[in-house]
Amino acid sequence: MSEKNLSISLDREDRVMSLENEKIAIQVKDWNLYYGKKQALNNITMDVPEHRVTAFIGPSGCGKSTLLRCFNRMNDLIDIVKVDGEMTLHGDDMYAKNMDVASLRRRVGMVFQKPNPFPKSIYENVCYGLRLQGITDKNTLDESVEWALKGAGLWDEVKDRLDENALGMSGGQQQRLCIARAIAIKPEVLLLDEPTSALDPISTLAIEELIFELKKDFTILIVTHNMQQAARVSDYTAFMYMGDLIEYTDTDSLFTNPQVKRTEDYITGRYG
Amino acid sequence: MKDWFNKGEHWIWMSSSMVSISVVLVMGLIGMIAYKGALHFWPHAVYEYQVQHNGQIETVIGELRDYKTRDITDSQTGKERELTQYLIKIGNRDVYGIDFRWINDSDFTSGMDTLSKNAIVIERYEYGNVYGHLVSANIGGQKIVDSDVLLDEFKKQVEQSSETRDKIRSIEKYDIGAINYAIEQLRFEEKKLRLKDAFTPEEAKRIEAERAKLQARFHEYQDQTAILYKQLNASGDVTVEIAGGKTLTIPIKKVVDFWLPNNMNLMEKLGFFGHTLGNFLLDDPREANTEGGIFPAMIGTITMVLLMTILVTPMGVIAAIYMREYAKDGPLLRMVRISINNLAGVPSIVFGIFGLGFFVYILGGSIDELFYGYALPSPTFGTPGLLWAALTMALLTLPVVIVSTEEGLSRIPRSLREGGLALGATKSETIMKIVLPMATPAIMTGLILAIARAAGEVAPLMLVGVVKLAPELPVDSITPFVHLDRKFMHLGFHIYDVGFQSPNVEASQPLVYATSLLLVVIIVGLNLGAITIRNRLREKYKALD
Repeated sequence: MSEKNLSISLDREDRVMSLENEKIAIQVKDWNLYYGKKQALNNITMDVPEHRVTAFIGPSGCGKSTLLRCFNRMNDLIDIVKVDGEMTLHGDDMYAKNMDVASLRRRVGMVFQKPNPFPKSIYENVCYGLRLQGITDKNTLDESVEWALKGAGLWDEVKDRLDENALGMSGGQQQRLCIARAIAIKPEVLLLDEPTSALDPISTLAIEELIFELKKDFTILIVTHNMQQAARVSDYTAFMYMGDLIEYTDTDSLFTNPQVKRTEDYITGRYG
Repeated sequence: MKDWFNKGEHWIWMSSSMVSISVVLVMGLIGMIAYKGALHFWPHAVYEYQVQHNGQIETVIGELRDYKTRDITDSQTGKERELTQYLIKIGNRDVYGIDFRWINDSDFTSGMDTLSKNAIVIERYEYGNVYGHLVSANIGGQKIVDSDVLLDEFKKQVEQSSETRDKIRSIEKYDIGAINYAIEQLRFEEKKLRLKDAFTPEEAKRIEAERAKLQARFHEYQDQTAILYKQLNASGDVTVEIAGGKTLTIPIKKVVDFWLPNNMNLMEKLGFFGHTLGNFLLDDPREANTEGGIFPAMIGTITMVLLMTILVTPMGVIAAIYMREYAKDGPLLRMVRISINNLAGVPSIVFGIFGLGFFVYILGGSIDELFYGYALPSPTFGTPGLLWAALTMALLTLPVVIVSTEEGLSRIPRSLREGGLALGATKSETIMKIVLPMATPAIMTGLILAIARAAGEVAPLMLVGVVKLAPELPVDSITPFVHLDRKFMHLGFHIYDVGFQSPNVEASQPLVYATSLLLVVIIVGLNLGAITIRNRLREKYKALD
């Protein structure tokens, strides 16, 4: 496993990362978010590149998870949240009045901090999203489940027990199942909200490798507390502090040559 | 000692002793009901006493049922002394007028434990038990005196006559009952057609023909029963010598069963116990409910509770979903919640009054006018019945179901809802497919409480459908199988009726205990069923972490 991990880092050094050369998946402009009267995100403007891994780092309460949840309108569930600004996904206004939230969430999948498989069989978990879309054909479902589980690197472990309850799996397996569940509906964007914070180091490594594989097909946004993780898996990194986007550039530059003092303080461990 | 207090040991002792007191109380309750109820089925020994009464010695034959001891002041000596009074069941109500007799200890001139040799107890369809000694039998014009043959012949005859009786009952109840039902339907059909002005001569002819056919079948059955009745009357009679040397002639057709308790060994007694228990469960009540079984009350209770469950589940669950998932939190929702909680505290009789006023008279009356106009003025649903009783009970137990469902919904982790939503499910899809299935154990908890409450309720039921004696069961083999408009019997009301409204309270006392035990067993049974389902669901939807 470690050998493969090494190859990942080598891989990246060969490439020159620059936002100007990227195709843009999500565009955010002057984005503000309020919890009641309290402002939680201040004037965020950023472009998220397609088929890349973008990491959000920053101290607790800096708004990185809140921002991530804006990308699939999860914040709609909280009554007191108000937003303004512009957010587009491949040119479509995500917060347009006529935007169907359910179909937007099909385009922007999400994996949460704590594994949250449904109390159903492994198979049913993966095809849940497909069934919601009205797909009932057994062959289609079987194929999609196999594809998604292979994509999440789980197929070999569970192919013989697809009918077992998903709650019987280990934490790492559950989280990969959640990823499989999210990619089964083939979203354009995959949001990962601290996906490894509840997992042991080996499961974490498995998921990090998986992220590297998945970026071929999906645009990935990941929130993480772990700066090493951000450095390992992401192509671009955004550093946030107190609701502001302090610095956003390619990962190597951010970690080796931060332009802002705050970023430097954070990544060198002076606070956080 | 101080150390002991500091450790908080005294709290542990206090709480554990409270637990043991509760356990002892519950065990005592169940134990007492079970013991007193079981006594009803056990063959009591029959004693023979010599009793002084108005200066004369007389013989009393009967079962010792109870005794009471109290202190009295002797009127002659002026001294305090203890008086024990014994309650003897002497039976033979047609001769003595009453079944039971209290006798003071000083009046006994013989010992208390003289078993009456070869005493026979005969249970009759009227006037209760006979206690005495079998003398002879008159069967088919032949007088039998030989004691060996006597009992066997008597037994045979009783079996035969009860068989005949069953046949008659089956014909009268099911076959003739079905014909009556069909004739009633025909009458309604005619009335309907007349109302629609469609009662043409052809229709009249058809209905008349059908009616004639039914009448013919009715007469057929009547002839059959006439023959059976004749057989029954020809079954002969037995002569019994009762206490005091009198003889009593009892027609065999009036005999339910007979037994010789003093000649039974333990196995026979156990067999008798099982036999009477079976009869108690499966027979109809007799003699103003003080004798016979409780089968209709049992069926009525179970049917009502199941129907109530079917009605209350959707109402409660849907209300809870709205309040927990959709309604905006605010003073209005809080008020609604408080009202629902208070609804659980409203005295149940108030629900009964509401059920009678709203369900029976207003709803039932309108239903009758709309759909059963042809039967008016005799009401179909505009009178207390099974449906209204179940609905009233559903209303009574609604708060419990709502509260526990809400509790269950609020316990589903937020992360699961988000998981569903993030996959592109709408809110209602998430609720129906993920949240609600996971809340089923909590819903079952609510239902368990609701069942316990509804099965034990008496007061409101008296107003909305329970009667002392229902001629028909609420479920039978005639379509639509469950008759929502019928009145029914209920164990709780049966206990009240038998225990406090019967002319013969002493006689029915054991029956009250036995019925109470059965009610407890039914509630426990229904609850165990629900608990098993709940545990299975819990296993299936065990919460995350």
